[in-house]
Amino acid sequence: MRKLLLLMAGLFCMLLMPGHLFAQTQTITGRVTDANGVPVAGASVTVKQTTQGVATDGEGKFKLNIPANATITISSTGFKTQTIKTDASTSDLQIKLEEDVAKLDEVVVTGLATTVKRRNLANAIATISNKQLNGVAPAQTFDAALNGKVPGAYINANTGAPGGGISVKLRGVTSVFGNTQPLYVVDNVFMDNSSTSAGLNAVTAAAAGGNASTQDNPSSRIADLRAEDIENIEILKGASAAAIYGSRAAAGVVIITTKKGKQGKTKISFSQDLGFVEVRKLLGVRQFTAETAASLSSDPATSEALKQQFLAAQSAGKLYDYEKEMYGEKGFTRNSVISMTGGNDKTSFYFSAAQKKEDGIIARTGYQNTSVRLNVDHRITDNIKFGISTNYVNSSADRGLTGNDNNGVTYGIALSSTPQFAELHPDAAGNYPINGFSASNPIQTRDLMRNNEGVDRFTTGFNLDAILFKGVRSNTRFIARGGFDFYNLQTDAQFPSSLQSQSVAKGTSIQGFSKNLNTNFLLSLVNNYTPSDNLSLTTSAGVTQETGDYNNLLNVATQVISGQGNVDQAGALTAQQFRQKFQNDGIFAQEEATIIDAITLTAGIRFDRSTNNGDIKKYNAYPKAGVSWNLTRMNFWNGNFFDNFKLRAAYGQSANFPAYGSKFTSLAVSNTGGFPGSLVNIQLGKSDIKPERQTELEAGLDFSVLKGRLSMEVSYYSKKIFDFLLLNTLPTSSGFSSQWVNAGDLRNRGVEIGLNARPVVTKNFTWNTSVNFWFNRSRVTNLTIPPVVLGSFGLALGSFRIEEGKSATQIVGITDEPQGIKVWGDQEPDFQMNTFNELTFKNKLSLRFLLHWKKGGENINLTNLLNDLGQTSPNFDNDDNKNGVPDGFDRIGRIGVTAQDFVENSGYLRLREIGLYYNFGTMGKVVKGLRAGVSLNNFLTITNYSGYDPEVSNFGTGFSTGVDVDPFPASKRATFHISIDL
Amino acid sequence: MKRIININIGLLLFLAVCFSSCQKDYGNLNQPTIESYLDNASAAQLNNLVTGTLSGMRITEGLYLDDIGAISREMYRFSGADPRYVTDLLGAAALSNTGFYITNPWAARYRVVKNCNILLQAAGSSSLISDAQRKGYSGFAKTMKAYELLLNLNLTYTNGIRVEVSDPLNLGPIVGYDEALTAIAGLLDDAKTDLGGADVSFPLGSGFAGFSDAAGFTKVNRALAARVAVYRKQWSAALTDLNDSFLDLTGNFYTGVSEVFGTGSGDQLNPAFFVQNSNGEVRLAHPSYAQDIEPGDDRISKATLRNSSASSGGLTSDRDVWVYKSSTAPIPIIRNEELILIYAEANIQLGNFDEAIDAINTIRNGHGLPDYSNSEPNTNDLITEMLNQRRYSLFFEGHRWIDMRRYDRLSELPIDREGDEIWDKMPVPLTEQ
Repeated sequence: MRKLLLLMAGLFCMLLMPGHLFAQTQTITGRVTDANGVPVAGASVTVKQTTQGVATDGEGKFKLNIPANATITISSTGFKTQTIKTDASTSDLQIKLEEDVAKLDEVVVTGLATTVKRRNLANAIATISNKQLNGVAPAQTFDAALNGKVPGAYINANTGAPGGGISVKLRGVTSVFGNTQPLYVVDNVFMDNSSTSAGLNAVTAAAAGGNASTQDNPSSRIADLRAEDIENIEILKGASAAAIYGSRAAAGVVIITTKKGKQGKTKISFSQDLGFVEVRKLLGVRQFTAETAASLSSDPATSEALKQQFLAAQSAGKLYDYEKEMYGEKGFTRNSVISMTGGNDKTSFYFSAAQKKEDGIIARTGYQNTSVRLNVDHRITDNIKFGISTNYVNSSADRGLTGNDNNGVTYGIALSSTPQFAELHPDAAGNYPINGFSASNPIQTRDLMRNNEGVDRFTTGFNLDAILFKGVRSNTRFIARGGFDFYNLQTDAQFPSSLQSQSVAKGTSIQGFSKNLNTNFLLSLVNNYTPSDNLSLTTSAGVTQETGDYNNLLNVATQVISGQGNVDQAGALTAQQFRQKFQNDGIFAQEEATIIDAITLTAGIRFDRSTNNGDIKKYNAYPKAGVSWNLTRMNFWNGNFFDNFKLRAAYGQSANFPAYGSKFTSLAVSNTGGFPGSLVNIQLGKSDIKPERQTELEAGLDFSVLKGRLSMEVSYYSKKIFDFLLLNTLPTSSGFSSQWVNAGDLRNRGVEIGLNARPVVTKNFTWNTSVNFWFNRSRVTNLTIPPVVLGSFGLALGSFRIEEGKSATQIVGITDEPQGIKVWGDQEPDFQMNTFNELTFKNKLSLRFLLHWKKGGENINLTNLLNDLGQTSPNFDNDDNKNGVPDGFDRIGRIGVTAQDFVENSGYLRLREIGLYYNFGTMGKVVKGLRAGVSLNNFLTITNYSGYDPEVSNFGTGFSTGVDVDPFPASKRATFHISIDL
Repeated sequence: MKRIININIGLLLFLAVCFSSCQKDYGNLNQPTIESYLDNASAAQLNNLVTGTLSGMRITEGLYLDDIGAISREMYRFSGADPRYVTDLLGAAALSNTGFYITNPWAARYRVVKNCNILLQAAGSSSLISDAQRKGYSGFAKTMKAYELLLNLNLTYTNGIRVEVSDPLNLGPIVGYDEALTAIAGLLDDAKTDLGGADVSFPLGSGFAGFSDAAGFTKVNRALAARVAVYRKQWSAALTDLNDSFLDLTGNFYTGVSEVFGTGSGDQLNPAFFVQNSNGEVRLAHPSYAQDIEPGDDRISKATLRNSSASSGGLTSDRDVWVYKSSTAPIPIIRNEELILIYAEANIQLGNFDEAIDAINTIRNGHGLPDYSNSEPNTNDLITEMLNQRRYSLFFEGHRWIDMRRYDRLSELPIDREGDEIWDKMPVPLTEQ
């Protein structure tokens, strides 16, 4: 112990006085430009083997103190890195950077505390720059902005509701019931991305029918982040890259780096967006006649009454298109961002304040987000850097009431049975008529109901990097990183007693309060050792800890006093509380070796334990290893055709926790007569539950030709998930419906091909393009329990089924063919492709667009079914098969016979984003830059899908994406942008 | 170099030591676990299980009533969200063994059975209660378990149920109708034995008002036994059981025990209640209810006229089901009116026609009808009359289907649409196979 203390003391001393290591210094200046002589602002100029460095100013200039005979490195995103050796005569440098189309010099994260250049990388790691994320046609939320941009990912918008709700699956399904969503790490902070339900089930009873999920469609919390603040995103798609993140990395890791301060004159930028949002597509409504109105009832008297109602409405000109009235609003959007960067050689900062306000396509819906960010980097001594990034977000989303329900109260379900001749509008006194065709008057619900989700979130990340020891061939750094993520979320749903649908509950107020605190830290030592010019070794080791503490209190008040919203102003109140805590501890070590700058070997291991596991004390080991071999750097390589040719392979393991509480068999509260009761839960606990374990093998080759103007990346991966968790259906006569079991193994295999090119480079016109192609195939390779039907509403309407030897995302359903049950489709697309293009004219005008093609993949579409059952679908009266019976009745007749009608191809080709921007450049002495542009999102979609949008998910973020039950329709956006730099 | 390594290892060791001591077990932060209840449970904990059992009995009770009501054409259940009430249940489509109409009630009843088994186990191993108390818990748990099993058997009929379900991973076999009824009767008899000399010191709530001590609860137990006895066609046994029950031939029809509802926290509202003249989600009396009723019968008030009739899937009715008149109205478990009719039934079958007719007249007069008249009373006529009285007296209380099935008279029920059918049983859920 004493020795340990001595060591600690020694370490501490080193932290304090490393300055003496540098004796002589000199000052150099320089200017960095691109190949055309345009200054490169913000390029980083660093001295090798030190933490010294500066960034270039707006004119590309820098000034730097360096030791004698130093090597300085000049790098900037999008350019090849240059290294220059200095001597005593060096004073003013003119540096021209070459464009790096293949991004070979981009620095990519490979460990918890280490990075490597893409040139030497063993994995295909997708990166997204700010320009790609935000520079074409900004989306409403950060997560929506990722859509279509990540090769190897299946990204899907769950709902068109304001505030979003996005599902991101990297390289296929990694889990059926466990977490399928990647871990988001923003400036070293592990962000919480959970969804908190607003408890709307108390009104909709969506869970009371065929599926126990509440189907509240909450937004994902990662949506709180502002895309404008993001510098770049790296996506570690599987265990071979992400193993070092341990148990939380099973579904991949999205590493987000926000903008940092730049040394030099303080720069102020202001940007303003104005635009509108409107529904992308409407389904249409059935056009009634007196006869079809009468046919809504088989009772002669009712039938006659309906006929008269129709005729009266028709003669009064009161036949309405309620769908258009509900979803046809044009929402105004605005977004303002002011940012400021600056600093000196010691301290630099980035500050931004932003506010966004958008109205939705349904009246009284909308989204608002206010964000303040301050990132500060400070150099304590030449050897110690400290950085902190802070972000406060306040967001508020009015999300309306859409999606599945069993009480006829959501807009879509109510409209599905309301014919055009019904009168739903209020009279002059403001009284809404009773809708005789549904349990609610959706116009009344829309006008009087409130469903708000409000978040206050504060996130802080820090980063300490200290050189402990420095020699000629070796240096050791101590790196501490971490942060916390805290938010308060309030859901506020109010249904006044005057609503038609509140005749029993007599007014409902559902108030949810959630508090979440996540913390994480990493302490690591990193040693770089260069025994010779041909060999460089990087050793890192350290410990990590992550904790989470979530507390959700949901109060449901009914019989609410008129005009009141507080839950105490009510005749009845029920409360639910849910708490969740975890602590994960990790220990890791990683070794990276670079041999003759051509072969890179990486090996690492992470030991991890979690309070979520059955055995909380047991450490699980997650190893990883990778090799990359850059052939063009080998002596034997001849020829000039390839600038770069690399073979690579990587392997890694990671895990996914059992669901919280899966260890326990517990008892729910169930009271009667004022006495407290305990009723056994329907889920049987499994005390020896194990985490899911994932192994991933990735191999690929990268090359670039034509002086880097064309580069290509080809990757193949095979990702195996062992012991995947399944909620095994038990015979319910046991008293339990389900039990978590480690049920089997599944596999994802896929190919990702990426191409970056610069087909045209002239003085007046450049064209940059990237094309990506990817697909994934999954298979359940082993299942120890009988096939499990899950994720939708049973076989009659089409459902997912986990079955050995089959795709994990197959959609099966009943059929009238002899076999009874048949595979009708698969959620997995055949393949996806995207292309991102930027065309620049005279360095001033640029056109950017993103095309996304998803080929194949099926949805379970029940929206049309509900419209058929309500006899309001637009094509109800058609008779395509000429059998004399309206098609609507034909379709109703097939319910229970075949699920074919509900499983529908949801492929699409979508012009996700297109933007045209003009850069006016410097204007006068004050304005350093002025840009203006227009952009469109989702304006063009080619699809055969008959629902509102092929991107939909009634069950939100999880395994079963693509179930369509009267969703909040998707929208398209048009925006005008202007930004000024001062 | 060596020094660097020393520092590295030292720091790591230090942190590792710190870490291994920090690991906590958070346990279940939200709910008690079964293990905690089986570990020498206190009376308070056992009482929680009693209340949980009484509360759990009410889950999906509305759906059970809908199942029985719709299949036996007492009523229609229209739902904007689920067509299966008017397709599957009425025979327009086959009943599915994954359909919510069987899986939900089946699971909910067995969940209560499980709760009863936990109560039995917890009370059996507790050293904190007296033997008399233990017998009280045991008598309660067995009675309730028998009742819940009976409700499931009513749905699956000859497809059977499981009776032995204490080990969730090693369940007993599915047994047929007769065997299951025998087992249920046996459970009720065991419970009766336990209740002799038992101390029922736990609260049973207002639904058991008047029957909340050992003697009172025994009467409930015997009333249920009488119901099971007539299901088993054991007519004299039925009379014996009635004798020990709360049967009162001159008493209030509604004396008995029921599931009660409330607006308190964690409580439930009556799922079988809908406001009159609702739209979309409705329960309507089958048109035959009003057509077949005798003039003057006050039980017409259980099917009130709507402002406008409601239709769905080619079915129409102009009367709401109006049995449960508020969201906190109780649902009877068993009540005197049924006991009187069981008394009548057993006596008809035993040939005591006068006794039987007296009982039937009690019911008829109680609802504003004159005495039953038949110059030549015979078993068949009397059974018809008894079934008719049960139809109106126990309307939407979950009996009609079982009653018509017991007498092989399902074919007498009305069919409204071509292609519809009257089912005689529901399938056992797929998950049981």
